Amino acid sequence: MPDLTSADHLPKRRPGGAALHPSWLPRQRRGTTPQMIGRYPDFNVLDAVDTWDEATKKVVLARLEPPGPLRFFTSDEEPVLRALCDTVLAQDREPRVPVAEMVDGKLADGLLDGYQYADMPDDRDTWRLVLRGLDHTATLGYQTGFAGCAEAQREAIVSEFAQGRLVGGAWDELNVAHAWSVVIRMMLAAFYSHPWAWNEIGFGGPAYPRGFMRLGGPGADGPAVREPFEQPGATDEDPVQVVDAWER
Amino acid sequence: MGTFWRGILKGALGPRDNDSRFLLDVHSRDLPGETTMARYRDDDEVDLVIVGAGAGGSVLAQRLARHGWRVVIIEAGPFWHPDEDWVSDEAGSHPLYWTQKRIISGADPIELGKNNSGRGVGGSMVHYAGYTPRFHPSDLSTYTDDGVGADWPICYEDLRPHYEQVEAELPVAGQDWPWGYPHRYPFSPHPVSGAAEKLREGALRCGIEMRVGPVGIVNGTFGNRPHCIYRGYCLQGCKVNAKASPYVTHLPDALAHGVEVRANCMALRVEIRQDSGRARGVVYATESGGAHRLQRARYVAIAGYSVETPRLLLASVSRRFPSGLCNNVDQVGRYVMVQGATQTAGRWPFELRMYKAPPPEISSEQFYETDPARGFARGFSIQTVSPLPIGWAEHVLADGHWGWALREYMRDYNHWATIGVLNELLPHPDNRITLADETDPYGQPIARMDYTLGDNDRANMAYSTKVITDILHAADAQDVLTIQRFAHLIGGARMGSFPEHSVVDANQRAWAVPNLFIADGSVCPTQGSANPALTIMALASRLAQRMASGAAMDDDPGARTGRTRSRAGNRR
Ligand SMILES: Cc1cc2nc3c(=O)[nH]c(=O)nc-3n(C[C@H](O)[C@H](O)[C@H](O)COP(=O)(O)OP(=O)(O)OC[C@H]3O[C@@H](n4cnc5c(N)ncnc54)[C@H](O)[C@@H]3O)c2cc1C
Ligand code: SF4
Repeated sequence: MPDLTSADHLPKRRPGGAALHPSWLPRQRRGTTPQMIGRYPDFNVLDAVDTWDEATKKVVLARLEPPGPLRFFTSDEEPVLRALCDTVLAQDREPRVPVAEMVDGKLADGLLDGYQYADMPDDRDTWRLVLRGLDHTATLGYQTGFAGCAEAQREAIVSEFAQGRLVGGAWDELNVAHAWSVVIRMMLAAFYSHPWAWNEIGFGGPAYPRGFMRLGGPGADGPAVREPFEQPGATDEDPVQVVDAWER
Repeated sequence: MGTFWRGILKGALGPRDNDSRFLLDVHSRDLPGETTMARYRDDDEVDLVIVGAGAGGSVLAQRLARHGWRVVIIEAGPFWHPDEDWVSDEAGSHPLYWTQKRIISGADPIELGKNNSGRGVGGSMVHYAGYTPRFHPSDLSTYTDDGVGADWPICYEDLRPHYEQVEAELPVAGQDWPWGYPHRYPFSPHPVSGAAEKLREGALRCGIEMRVGPVGIVNGTFGNRPHCIYRGYCLQGCKVNAKASPYVTHLPDALAHGVEVRANCMALRVEIRQDSGRARGVVYATESGGAHRLQRARYVAIAGYSVETPRLLLASVSRRFPSGLCNNVDQVGRYVMVQGATQTAGRWPFELRMYKAPPPEISSEQFYETDPARGFARGFSIQTVSPLPIGWAEHVLADGHWGWALREYMRDYNHWATIGVLNELLPHPDNRITLADETDPYGQPIARMDYTLGDNDRANMAYSTKVITDILHAADAQDVLTIQRFAHLIGGARMGSFPEHSVVDANQRAWAVPNLFIADGSVCPTQGSANPALTIMALASRLAQRMASGAAMDDDPGARTGRTRSRAGNRR
């Protein structure tokens, strides 16, 4: 396991900017994280639910309800949507944050961001065009729909998408760079609003009415840094918990 | 009061003529007076109707109500009930933002939505961060001094007493301020979080001085407003009442003095008498598709934010004003400005947990004015910030990461601290609000915003990004991630000395309509590198004083042109 006091596990510090395979991460022991990996194996933000105010509790806990069927996307679109969400957020196995359903819900309810690029259609149309465009590119390159592609193939397509370089088919009806911004922002907002993602990154979550007494800072073990309920990040002391069965 | 006494009495002084802090309830965050406030009939000609219960509109209403004016505020958004409506959660705060569609364009389109404006009683300050710096005297004369931007028709001395008063009302906490016009704050600086402390360390090593604050956040108690609990959700609406917004600082007193806030009412046009050219009142709808009503008034003030104010003027078409109210000289919507708001984050070996404490902590205005050696006009300020997870994900994304790489940086969240800049970007006539072809559910044309950076702007942004990146390296950051972004809209109906180049005069009174005023950030001719809310409030406070005395209605050409005091008043 890499030494977390160095930054050698961070993509920009690694050859080619590639992320380290997550098999170095400890398995979550408390609570749930996406794919049960994370840096805070003994931290569960939901342990503090009793300190949250009612309004916040209602909004956050609703995200843990089992997701219902899609309301905005059609059954034809569903596999492409799921494949895109999985690739962009690197969720390759259960438990997954139900990003596809969360995005679908926002679009169905018309909860949009409040701006639209002049060279783009409405966000809802953008989503449908993007899914069609992904299938178009996948079919040209790999003779199968986007959902049928292997993970590496999907990553290659998304990488082109992120750089605004896809053309042909539905892409010609969009400014591809703007389309990337529209869809990825919505996926990120969904994923990082979910308490499982907070567990993974060690975020303290809602803090009202409790607030914070200890404002963080250097001196890793000092009382100045963490509240009693916050758990320190993983160290390399417990190799038994490391998931070594992680084969991509 | 002299600087000495302001120092001695720090934390013990309250503002005069504003009881908002005592009117608030200790046990409930609701706006006291919502159920008992005055109600006026549409055909009752009130003294003043204001569009928008935000930073500008609320201060104007509170002040004039104290002078006995009968005031109605038309507000598009809801009356908040913070205990139930606001949450300690990023995604759950979506209802606070103005999310009705706007079209963005130009070479550098500005993303609006959550990052720019609010909708509801209290306006955008309900979810603003809380930095409350003043503009510098030099901001008001950039054209004369630097040959860029525009001169204001007023001088710093016109604003200074109002800055002091608003600082006492918010109240502002911070260290003694050495930059611009040096001044002290009514409350002591807040303790500094571990993340911000790390950044200050780097700045000091680079020879950059940083000071704690200034923030409109209670440090101690202030009437019935409690001390900040350092939970870090200022941009999601403060459920504690520690952070200043008109909802807690001016509207309680306004309602207690006869102001009616008519929430969930969308103003659609300012009605003009075609004979005299005076405004009769404001036409509004209580629901989309609902009947249009006209609130009559002696005076009309618009304070709907730099996008909505020009939009409302442009949509108010009549025989006298075929291309929009006050727009016969084609000035409405022009010179809209934003500030460059690049942020860069650094990584350290230990946990900093930047989600704690208010995102606004410490700042520097050392680079604010022009330095010819830098190769561009005007400058920037530096401020610490601290994104919550969704904001952090956008930051990581902007540096080019998604998939496994994004997840890796996200997992590293607790090891990072973030510092940002605010660049003064220069006003340009083609950066503009216009009306798009599409209409909203009220049938009102939606706003379109075009924005393109100039060369000076790009040079400023590039230079400042290097400065904050150097700060991170000086503090031994192990990795750095950068996001280029924009913040703080201002302008679009600017004030000036000549009707050909501005929309309102030195008293914020429309050149074209004798009883119409503009009372929000739209009137600012330049924006400096300071966050705008305090200045918007100070301008509204000055306007109210002049409306109450009648000085703002003075038709004397000299009074309208402004700058009656010597220009030297701008410098010390
Ligand atoms: C995320 C964020 C962080 C910020 N941080 C800071 C900061 O740290 N410091 C700072 O100084 N500034 C900050 N700002 C900016 C600051 O909040 C705004 O500049 C300021 O509140 C603008 O004041 P205003 O009076 O122009 O408009 P607003 O306060 O936005 O008020 C306008 C009101 O008018 C209403 N309205 C608009 N059109 C109509 C209509 N047609 N009919 C009826 N009502 C209408 C709106 O609903 C709104 O309530 C921040 C803003 C945001 C969004
Ligand atoms: S950090 Fe302080 S000011 Fe900000 S929301 Fe929390 S209590 Fe309010």
